[in-house]
Amino acid sequence: MREKFSQDKLDRCISCGYCLPACPTYKLTGNEESSPRGRITLMRAVQNDKLPALDLLQESSFCLGCRACEPVCPAGVEYGVLLEEMRDITWQGKNRPLIIRGLFAIVDSKIGMWGLGLFSPMARRREANKDLHLMYGCFERRLFPSVSRAVAKLAPEVSCSSDQGCCGALHAHNGELEKGKEMAKALGAKLPGTILTTAGGCAAHLSSVIGADRVQEFSQWWFKRDIELKPITKAGRKIRVGLQDSCHLRNGMGVFVEPREILKQLGDLVEVPGAADCCGAAGSYALLQKKNSRKVVSQKIADIKALNLDYIATVNPGCTRQLVTELRRARVKTKVIHLAELVANSQIQ
Amino acid sequence: MSASDLVAKLTTLLGSDGVRSDAVSLQAYSRDATPMFEGLPEVIVAPRNTQEVSKIVKFAHDTKTPIIARGAGSNLCAATVPLNGGIVMSMTSMNKVLEVAKSEMIAIVQPGVTNLDLDQLVEKEGLRFVPDPGSRNVSTIGGNVATSAGGLRGLKYGTTRNYILGLEAVLGTGEIIRTGGRLVKDVAGYDVTRLLVGSEGTLAVFTEITVALAPRPEASKYGVAYFEDLAAAADAVEKIITSGILPATLEFLDNTCLVAVEDFAHLGLDTKAGALLLFGDDGDLVSIEQSVGKMAEIAKSSAGCRGVTLAADIAAAEALLYARRCSLPALARLSSLSILEDIAVPRKSMAEAVKRIEAIGVKHGLRIGTFGHAGDGNLHPTIVLDKDNPKEVAAAEAALAEIFALPLEFGGTITGEHGVGSAKLPYLEAKIGPANMQLQRDIKKVFDPAGILNPGRIGS
Ligand SMILES: Cc1cc2nc3c(=O)[nH]c(=O)nc-3n(C[C@H](O)[C@H](O)[C@H](O)COP(=O)(O)OP(=O)(O)OC[C@H]3O[C@@H](n4cnc5c(N)ncnc54)[C@H](O)[C@@H]3O)c2cc1C
Ligand code: SF4
Ligand code: SF4
Repeated sequence: MREKFSQDKLDRCISCGYCLPACPTYKLTGNEESSPRGRITLMRAVQNDKLPALDLLQESSFCLGCRACEPVCPAGVEYGVLLEEMRDITWQGKNRPLIIRGLFAIVDSKIGMWGLGLFSPMARRREANKDLHLMYGCFERRLFPSVSRAVAKLAPEVSCSSDQGCCGALHAHNGELEKGKEMAKALGAKLPGTILTTAGGCAAHLSSVIGADRVQEFSQWWFKRDIELKPITKAGRKIRVGLQDSCHLRNGMGVFVEPREILKQLGDLVEVPGAADCCGAAGSYALLQKKNSRKVVSQKIADIKALNLDYIATVNPGCTRQLVTELRRARVKTKVIHLAELVANSQIQ
Repeated sequence: MSASDLVAKLTTLLGSDGVRSDAVSLQAYSRDATPMFEGLPEVIVAPRNTQEVSKIVKFAHDTKTPIIARGAGSNLCAATVPLNGGIVMSMTSMNKVLEVAKSEMIAIVQPGVTNLDLDQLVEKEGLRFVPDPGSRNVSTIGGNVATSAGGLRGLKYGTTRNYILGLEAVLGTGEIIRTGGRLVKDVAGYDVTRLLVGSEGTLAVFTEITVALAPRPEASKYGVAYFEDLAAAADAVEKIITSGILPATLEFLDNTCLVAVEDFAHLGLDTKAGALLLFGDDGDLVSIEQSVGKMAEIAKSSAGCRGVTLAADIAAAEALLYARRCSLPALARLSSLSILEDIAVPRKSMAEAVKRIEAIGVKHGLRIGTFGHAGDGNLHPTIVLDKDNPKEVAAAEAALAEIFALPLEFGGTITGEHGVGSAKLPYLEAKIGPANMQLQRDIKKVFDPAGILNPGRIGS
């Protein structure tokens, strides 16, 4: 457990406020304390013993962790890291939300991980290229097994090893920073060479620990393969498809062109307004902060509805889950699908 | 009045969702963009309309409680740091554009609208809001008016001062006044509008602002020129302006800034140059082709010029402008603390002033980068230092005093656009003299008899 923030990271912020307009929680409240700059001011107050650390609990939970404040920050503040530290400092013992304790318990144990994979129709284990491994993802393997299946079908050279744990992003984002790093390293050791992942959040965490050269997110990797795709049609016309960016993929890794280029081959790409803005899934946020999560996503749902899309493509399982739930609630017909599955559909045609 | 009484009374006045006093909120409003200034308010209020503002200010008046109107808190002179406790009144909930009148070329806005939001909205009508401070994506029109914010277009277009036609404002008694109006011509009574612009929240709180808009120019064009040193760049600037061109943009960076910006933005700038000059103009295609072409030629043929390049397209130009706007944060990356100043001197003394600033840096063993608006002589010397090194901090304080004294030798000013706030109040008298200081205090008394509006700043 951490007690202090990295001073050099706090020092980077010059309180200019450039990040305010980019922050979804600031947009919701207009309050300085729920802005990135305000949260950094609070962290500084804790660092200098002007505020008890536990006073950060509320803001550390309200913050989505979407990192939209990072690319707009001219001073290069690594807010994502500061937030991980803030949760590490505050979300300890009884202050760790029960749901998070439950999730940790599942992925921390061999039995838990085994359970997640049990009877799941995810990609079957196989040995192929020893230096290219597909990562199943911890909850993705249970919730969206068709995603790994799609990748396995698309690329016979990819190895699928059953002996792989969680990458630790869940831990890092929820108050167990060191453990989250250890888990990433452990996964890196288990899966040699390049790790291919279909989750933007995992990609960003893994690459921050084991190095970007060892991690490939699906759209990044597929785009480089430069394979021409057939457009997908529906009732004789090309499909209308939008994209929901993954926050950590876009804001943490700077990947957002690749999925769009792929989608342009598959159909008519319609840019959803605010595609880059967080959908409110934000890892465990949709579970912990249900109301706020719904507030964050509501405009997006209205926008998707108005555009009358056939598909909305995702590059991260959390976003898939959030959009499926919320679109269903709003009775919108647009189908949510992971980019890899859409690519696989094109190949089949 | 005790803090808890203050909160209770304000809650009765506004209802509970407009009033906050928990430790976390108070802490969040303890600073603005000025380094080294901090102070805790006792309560934060967020009024939604003019009537609420009036009620709050009247309450502050009756109870003699200090009150600070706060926009985005992006000012650089500690104008919104609650050094005397009291109330911080956040104006950001009043963020509606009330009217855009295309034929009159005006807009009426609430004070919490951001500069960029307004400009993007009027763009749809082929218009623009001209003042463009570097902070335009976050700073509010209310804050811009209260500081008469400048920007990159000052030489050709002036600053916020030149674009404010009318105000609705709440005086220090809670009374609501209207000044000016929708018209370009209006000389009925003293020009109170003009007095309130730049008053830094010390005379009245703006609740509605009528701004003049301008036609959006058809196009703009930019280029950069590199020089051996700043004196050579200043020579070229002088030649450009005396040649009869009035360009929209003439910005410079010294070598320290240039290197910092290149490290951050990777634009392929010539980091060996002693100075970079960013020049540009806007208008119709033919005339900017001419004026920018001519500027490029003058720069090229100027002594000490290392090279000139024109931005190939909008994206390249935007990148240059963004890089210029980010000079401060780029410098800030160099160390744990950066102190930015804002002096201005007549253009002809600019090169000499920068040389003297460099000498001040050498004398105190400090790293100082200077960038600024070459067209209007507004210089931003920025000291980058290690905040945990007491020696450097002391040296910086000594250097600052010398930097503030410098422009006065040349008939310049201690602040060109950032304002006085708390940070520069100690240096104000040297600039405006004792009689004018007293006049300012007297003026403040008329607007704010109880001395509650942003005390400890101008007029105190
Ligand atoms: C990176 C960066 C770049 C900048 N670039 C420029 C630049 O190019 N040019 C420039 O001039 N400035 C610049 N600034 C300074 C700053 O952004 C401006 O002074 C801006 O106008 C402040 O607006 P704000 O909304 O943040 O006001 P605040 O900082 O909140 O307040 C500033 C002053 O306005 C008063 N005020 C705010 N709202 C009201 C109201 N409704 N009624 C009465 N008084 C009010 C406050 O009391 C205070 O005195 C820059 C700042 C940063 C951080
Ligand atoms: S995080 Fe970056 S953008 Fe936000 S206030 Fe700090 S320096 Fe400015
Ligand atoms: S991570 Fe997202 S919600 Fe949190 S401060 Fe940054 S922009 Fe705001």
